[in-house]
Amino acid sequence: MSQSDDTGVDLAEGIDHQVAMVMDLNKCIGCQTCTIACKTNWTESGGREYMYWNNVETKPGAGYPRDWEELGGGWDEEGEERTPGELPDQEDYGRAWEFNHEAIMYEGSDEPLRPLENADWGPNWDEDEGAGEYPNSYYFYLPRICNHCTHPSCVEACPRSAIYKREEDGIVLVDQDRCRGYRYCVEGCPYKKVYYNAQTKTSEKCIFCYPRIEGEGPEGEVRPPSCAEDCPPQLRHVGFLDDEEGPIHKLVNEYEVAVRLHPEYRTEPNVYYIPPFAPPQTSESGETVDAERIPRDYLEELFGSQVNEALNTISRERDRVRRGEESELMNLLTTVNNDNQYRLEVFADDD
Amino acid sequence: MTTEESGLARFGSRELALAGVLALAITTSAVAFPMLVDARPAYEIPVDQQSDPGDLAEPTGDDWGDVPAASVPLSSAGAAVPGGDDTAVEGARVEAARTSDQLYLRLSWSDTSENRSTESLNEFADAAAVQLPANGTDRPPIAMGSTSNPVNVWYWSGDDTTEALLAGGAGTTTEMEGTNLETAATHEDGRWNVVFTRPLAADGENVADATATNEMDVAFAVWEGSNAERSGQKATTEWYYLALEPDTSAAPYETILWTVAGLAIVLTTLVTVEGVRRTRGD
Repeated sequence: MSQSDDTGVDLAEGIDHQVAMVMDLNKCIGCQTCTIACKTNWTESGGREYMYWNNVETKPGAGYPRDWEELGGGWDEEGEERTPGELPDQEDYGRAWEFNHEAIMYEGSDEPLRPLENADWGPNWDEDEGAGEYPNSYYFYLPRICNHCTHPSCVEACPRSAIYKREEDGIVLVDQDRCRGYRYCVEGCPYKKVYYNAQTKTSEKCIFCYPRIEGEGPEGEVRPPSCAEDCPPQLRHVGFLDDEEGPIHKLVNEYEVAVRLHPEYRTEPNVYYIPPFAPPQTSESGETVDAERIPRDYLEELFGSQVNEALNTISRERDRVRRGEESELMNLLTTVNNDNQYRLEVFADDD
Repeated sequence: MTTEESGLARFGSRELALAGVLALAITTSAVAFPMLVDARPAYEIPVDQQSDPGDLAEPTGDDWGDVPAASVPLSSAGAAVPGGDDTAVEGARVEAARTSDQLYLRLSWSDTSENRSTESLNEFADAAAVQLPANGTDRPPIAMGSTSNPVNVWYWSGDDTTEALLAGGAGTTTEMEGTNLETAATHEDGRWNVVFTRPLAADGENVADATATNEMDVAFAVWEGSNAERSGQKATTEWYYLALEPDTSAAPYETILWTVAGLAIVLTTLVTVEGVRRTRGD
């Protein structure tokens, strides 16, 4: 199912290189600029109105689509048999609401700006609710795109091989000519990152902005995906998992501080997360208490037990910086130089 | 004189007359019985010859009233997709008619839920398909043919999709452009009636040519939308064949069987008569 290349990095069989992304959850402010960047590029119309190939959800929370983590999909414990998932209900994505813009902007209405129809659920509907009791309530934001997995269950789910992992960089794509809208990929993806377009009657998904990384984007330059480039706090690193000199390889394989979301689904995502730190808990009187605000077992539930070592490593490296020592890891995580964040041309000469 | 001739010579005229009557009765029945009981071969779909298309293109056209129907059992195709063994429709009625240049197939099955929409993620449309060998020689594998022996699939779906497909094995269906396949469907009184019609002659490469053969293999599939059936999750028949040319006599094997049976009865009668005579010491 996977092969190891010269660097010892596991790549999917038949894949030359693997694009990957690391998102630092400590930097996400939940502004949804990435969501809108993606939407204006790819999903504004044509049956895609309800789709957010990139979404940002509040954790703990139900997510998008609602309760996606309970819908199954992925692989069994041996990673050999697929566990077929369920299709979400359409309402669990939320609808693209019509607003009373017309009345307010052009007809002089005094009513507040609001959806014309009953709005009772939508992406990030439970924004900032989180969990825990005041004064120790907690939440963080989780941006999600397709994970372009090394062992993608959506690809395995398609009886027509219409969804595939492309050879040059492992991006998972739906061949719109082959797709017949069976939706096995939608139910088979445990992250629910494949979407059914009822107008085209095909399934669609994040394409990792492949025209941009191929240099077909603005000004003919190689650019990272829109969600990464347009992020105000620049929380994403984009590059190749098998580029030993690149930030992804360092964060994922060397320092092991970037971890996978729900590794127990066994699809081997290529989007990784720097786990979130939060201020320590406070007592009723407002004193700082030596206790973690985000329960460790909740983070383990999301990111597996590897999250512990990741958090420990980051803490250790932070302490080094506090002591005035050099830390390559902290330099990587705090860089403000895009050249250090996006390395997409390193294998350009391969062909 | 041979032994047989001397044996026969011993029969009296009475016995010979009896044998003659028996032989005549058997020969008559050999012709008459198949017509009386209409013993159609089990996998035959008779094709009614019509001089005029009339309203055969209509799913509930009056002209379908004269067309003989065949009942075909359906069962899960058992494909390796989730729910591949879970199908709802267990049988369908198939009628076929032709004019000099057009073939009409009507598929009809009981379905209390009319599923036409694929407008939301959770909606799947009822659908039906007719499968034919693309090249009309050897019978292709029933599950969508094979690379070396592809099939044509005439696909209709309740969301108003009509597609002529070419397939060379499961998961390979590809739409063929520019074919003359047409469909029409109604759902009335808890039944779907779907008419597929196409010129008999092939209108392109890899298209089944119904003018080149008297008997063309055919199989059927039905998808129940309310059961989320799609792809390989479908109820299918075995291979049948369309009897495309008019056939006024009984099937040849029936005539042969009846003749063999008749001769056997004549022979047995003669042997019995001879036995009785010898016992009596004639």
